Amino acid sequence: MNVADWAVLLGTLVGIAAYGVWRTRHVRSLTTYLRGDAAIGWGTIGLSVMATQASAVTFLSIPGQGFESGIGFVQNYFGLPLALIIVCAVFLPMYRRLNVFTAYQFLGQRFDDKTRLLGAGLFLVQRGLAAGVTIYAPAIIISTVLGWRVDLVVVFTGLLVLAYTVAGGSEAVALTHRWQVAVIWAGMATAVIVLLLRLPPDLGLNGAAHVAGALGKLRAVDFSLDPSRRYTVWTGVFGGLFLSLSYFGTDQSQVQRYIAGPSLRNSRLGLMFNAVLKIPMQFVILVLGAFLFVFYQFVPPPVFFNQAEWRRHAEDGRFRAIEAEYAGALAQSQSAIRGWLEARGTDDAAREASARAAMVSANDRAHAIRAEAKSALVAVDPRAKTKDSDYVFITFILTQLPHGAVGLLLAVMFSAALSSTASELAALGTTTTIDVWRHLRPLATTDEARNVRVARRFTLLWGAVAVGFALFAGFAENLIEAINILGSIFYGVLLGLFLVAFFLRWVGGTAVFLAAFIAQALVIAMYFSLSIGYLWYNLIGCAACIGLSLALQAILPSRAPVAGSGRT
Amino acid sequence: MTPAPRPDERGGAEPPDVPGFRTWWGVYLFVFGWFVLVIVLLTVFTVVFS
Repeated sequence: MNVADWAVLLGTLVGIAAYGVWRTRHVRSLTTYLRGDAAIGWGTIGLSVMATQASAVTFLSIPGQGFESGIGFVQNYFGLPLALIIVCAVFLPMYRRLNVFTAYQFLGQRFDDKTRLLGAGLFLVQRGLAAGVTIYAPAIIISTVLGWRVDLVVVFTGLLVLAYTVAGGSEAVALTHRWQVAVIWAGMATAVIVLLLRLPPDLGLNGAAHVAGALGKLRAVDFSLDPSRRYTVWTGVFGGLFLSLSYFGTDQSQVQRYIAGPSLRNSRLGLMFNAVLKIPMQFVILVLGAFLFVFYQFVPPPVFFNQAEWRRHAEDGRFRAIEAEYAGALAQSQSAIRGWLEARGTDDAAREASARAAMVSANDRAHAIRAEAKSALVAVDPRAKTKDSDYVFITFILTQLPHGAVGLLLAVMFSAALSSTASELAALGTTTTIDVWRHLRPLATTDEARNVRVARRFTLLWGAVAVGFALFAGFAENLIEAINILGSIFYGVLLGLFLVAFFLRWVGGTAVFLAAFIAQALVIAMYFSLSIGYLWYNLIGCAACIGLSLALQAILPSRAPVAGSGRT
Repeated sequence: MTPAPRPDERGGAEPPDVPGFRTWWGVYLFVFGWFVLVIVLLTVFTVVFS
């Protein structure tokens, strides 16, 4: 990195944070602090929802997924548009009609205080841990490749996000999201353009797509019914529907984004904006990864992308031999690719099939050597980090992009981390203030300054928890999966609570409370004892919560018609 | 702590005010149609490039 990169990186990050603090310097009302600007437009709501969901791992890990496993991960998002339609039609009108600050207030009105606290508690545990992962994820990757101290990166990210989130609350979060999304789109467009320009001229976009496809990287959909397959159309539509419904319908970090604004219309249009754009956006990021795979067939990459980890262990001759063997395999693979492209241009089907088989075989050999390199690392150090796909895109950024653009792409990663962390911290602070603190010490009805102070302190507290978790905890190697697995374990039950609340009007608070507890224990036990795609836990947790609620309601003493506690 | 319901939303029949759409169900149908189209295009993409 040179001065231009540093100027772009720090100018962008500090500039946006300062803008958020400055624009919200007059926030004095708790409603504005927790819900944001009452005149916010649907475009800002849509961008804010998008920025909240897209964390840094979206832009670091997903290109790596495309590189390593192809673009099948896009199926994970198939349930999202359907979930957003349901949220718009069922959840959102209820939240706005009750004019709640948090989704869990609705549970309190529909059931009772203990169910509201259970819902808020599930959210606080899950999102509190996830906020730590959101900060840690880009910090560990970027600090590893640039040789920075990871603790300093974590603290810098934490302080920057806390500066404007604590100062301006939800309004600052939404205002900064607009600019952060602009930086993200500009940066990713730059990366795509540079990648396309760096592909061999004789290959072209079409040739690159065919090479990626022939080597299995462009299988977007898989209609297999095998439940052990992690990403299929069915896990995406059904598991993804439940994951997205839980996330958008019951996770306060999202609910807080779209209940802002002057009207139901603006909130709905903001969500529909995401329903239309999300799958195409993820597709583009995954295809970027698949094209990086093609690019690295022609520009020899390191045998292991996490070079810091590799250099730490690769001292003896065995590692040099692996590197040499990999270089030879890549040369063969490149030659085989060119042979196949040439054969494709002829009408000789037999020759094309033979060239294709040779290309696939050469690629398999290169892949096997990469696997051997990882085994060699584990042989030297059983605790070595062997997953390097998260380092693919950042390696490309640092080695192929011109100065200035490197700073911009690093700003993309940090902007994405800041945008999702800000929403998480604002939501954690809001939930703690409204759903927990009120039961211990009711908020002053007239002293708005005190109310805002309380909310600020809780936001600050959760920021400290997230930074502390990021500093002292070890995380799973695949960061985006770690977040999704964590979400899948807790979200299903949380969604079950809300679906019972919306659709099973005769079920009471005690039945659903006990059912949620048992269902959550069941999901955790299954996670540690079974080997099924994690998206299914959304469905299982939700179904268990609903089924047990019905069963318990049938055996528990009958209750008065639903009225709720009336407390919010 | 919870303010009174917003007057403009008590009815729940706020029009989308989007050109070409008179009801929200029309908007949802459009988004669903877009989703189906995206799945079809991705399936075609998979077939063409695999």
